Amino acid sequence: MKTKSYTPISPKLNENEQFFKDAIGVGTSFDLGVRKLHILKTDVHLYYCNGLCDTQYIIELLEMLVQVNDRERQPAKLLEIIENRLVHQQVNPVKSLDEAVDFLLTGLILLFIDGETKAFAVDVRSYPGRSPEEPDTEKVVRGARDGYVENIVVNTALTRRRIRDERLRFEMMQVGERSKTDICIAYIQDVADPGLVELIKKELNEIKIDGLTMADKTIEEFLVKQGYNPYPLVRYTERPDVAATHLLEGHVIIMVDTSPSVIITPTTYFHHVQHAEEYRQSPAVGTFVRWVRFLGIFASLFLLPLWFVFVLDPSLLPEKLSYIGPNEKTNIPIFVQLLIADIGIEFLRMAAIHTPTPLSTAMGLIAAALIGQIAIDVGLFVPEVILYVSVAAIGSFATPSYELSIANKIFRLLFLVVIALFGVPGFMIGVTVFLLFLANIRSLNTPYLWPFIPFDPGAFMQIIVRRSVAGSSIRPSIVHPQNKQKQPT
Amino acid sequence: MQTKTKQDGQLEQNKREKPMPVLAKVALIGFIGGVFWSFLAYCAYFFHFTEVAPNFILQPWAIGDWKDGALGQTIAILFIGLASVIASFLYYAFLKNRQGIWPGVAFGIGLWVLVFYVLNPIFPQLKAVPQLERNTVVTMVCFYILYGMFIGYSISFEVAEMRRQKQVDVVK
Repeated sequence: MKTKSYTPISPKLNENEQFFKDAIGVGTSFDLGVRKLHILKTDVHLYYCNGLCDTQYIIELLEMLVQVNDRERQPAKLLEIIENRLVHQQVNPVKSLDEAVDFLLTGLILLFIDGETKAFAVDVRSYPGRSPEEPDTEKVVRGARDGYVENIVVNTALTRRRIRDERLRFEMMQVGERSKTDICIAYIQDVADPGLVELIKKELNEIKIDGLTMADKTIEEFLVKQGYNPYPLVRYTERPDVAATHLLEGHVIIMVDTSPSVIITPTTYFHHVQHAEEYRQSPAVGTFVRWVRFLGIFASLFLLPLWFVFVLDPSLLPEKLSYIGPNEKTNIPIFVQLLIADIGIEFLRMAAIHTPTPLSTAMGLIAAALIGQIAIDVGLFVPEVILYVSVAAIGSFATPSYELSIANKIFRLLFLVVIALFGVPGFMIGVTVFLLFLANIRSLNTPYLWPFIPFDPGAFMQIIVRRSVAGSSIRPSIVHPQNKQKQPT
Repeated sequence: MQTKTKQDGQLEQNKREKPMPVLAKVALIGFIGGVFWSFLAYCAYFFHFTEVAPNFILQPWAIGDWKDGALGQTIAILFIGLASVIASFLYYAFLKNRQGIWPGVAFGIGLWVLVFYVLNPIFPQLKAVPQLERNTVVTMVCFYILYGMFIGYSISFEVAEMRRQKQVDVVK
């Protein structure tokens, strides 16, 4: 962080006004303004930033200030009188103009009084934003319907509503030379690993960037330094209940202003395959849902490559399964068909993201009825290719983490390429290298495939079986909790 | 609480899970690693990726024909699990302080060499490596690498975590 320049507040209001004109463009930028008042024959200037503050509150404050003229008779005590009449719980005295500028640009109003070297900042912020809604990507059948929003204060409040513990900490810091984005590190003081909290703070302090317009995603790239590794090294959630659960388990949560998703650290692969829905159903149902989901994720990674191996070498199939594989001869190699079909689905997925809803229905019809059927009729595709590509695609959609599903898709395509080149050895070596690669990843000093590799029997059971909440009294060891038992003794 | 007779200790949430002793954990890692990877190897055999089925380990014993059936494979998988406990103890004895996945990978390759070259004469049906199909060799080496990584990384991570925990406890 560079050392901040320090300009004291001048007792002459004109000089302060000139500073604001030069430094932040009051008078040039339309959203910054100044209101000049006379109170007890003294000039008082009120600076504001349009749109970031609530006009209703400012009017009430102004009314109180103007009434000073009718009720008070001691101009010498003007500073105290004004401070007293600012009827708001958050009134801060400001000494320097630089600090004042920071406040003004976050939406506070500033009161300068002629002849004083102290100004008042009043927190009347009201940011444009939506109210909490259910996040689109993490819907549940039962359970809370509120989700994080773009406003960090609402987000901390939603979390605090769920954990009223006095040991819950929200540490605020600012990152970005120009954007000065608020970042909040949330953790429970006597549970979270202090080493991890320190590490995260250190990494965040070292970030040098002018703006964080992509909010948490930018922070993630600075934090975990993943390079071109497609696998998501942190988990995002937009659900306050999921975030609160992880806080109680000893995770550290990073919230970034202007983003409705928060970062859960540390994260392993298996954090990406769980969903809040499992914990809103009974343990047996939750386990069933989870296994079906695992099957879907497995299919999205391995079904297509395995089928392709059998197409290339039908002699591999046991007799009972020998019907697998295309029966008709085709004009286009299966590998090319698979690539076209898989990338075609990717076209559809991308198009669906930025197509307005009324059009996307039509698009779905074109995709399903026209492209799929007619591609088979004209002999471009074997029906089986469509079947397996579709199952793999549905498996991707069943992956709870969007980031994970795309990373899996990339590796599925890579498997297809090595199989096309080397057949069975390509597949075996590909999968081995893939697993070694995943096992070798460490995200914030956490092995990525834990608890599978390195194997932890207890924690692995927690992944395979959705245990009852009453029965799982131990916090996951991977977060190194200071306090291992969830319930007090 | 509606019943006084239900002691705190009987409540599911009040059960204290005791940490497993390290040797028990090593044994468990070994057993599960052996069973898991040999089961996958059996799947690979089922799809003819490899000619070597898990039941090759039963071949030196002159037992009934059942050893070639499904029962034989199942027992062979469990048997490999037991053999794997020995392997994991070996790893624990000699390599537990090496961090990361690569010592485990090397351990896996070493085991493969041991089984397919050195111990080869014990298994009458196991062909010498040059006579094996290319697919078989690649598949088996891959499974041994993954198995070695599983065992090695798990044990060394466990040891490192225990050491870390001890340090934390000392500080407290």
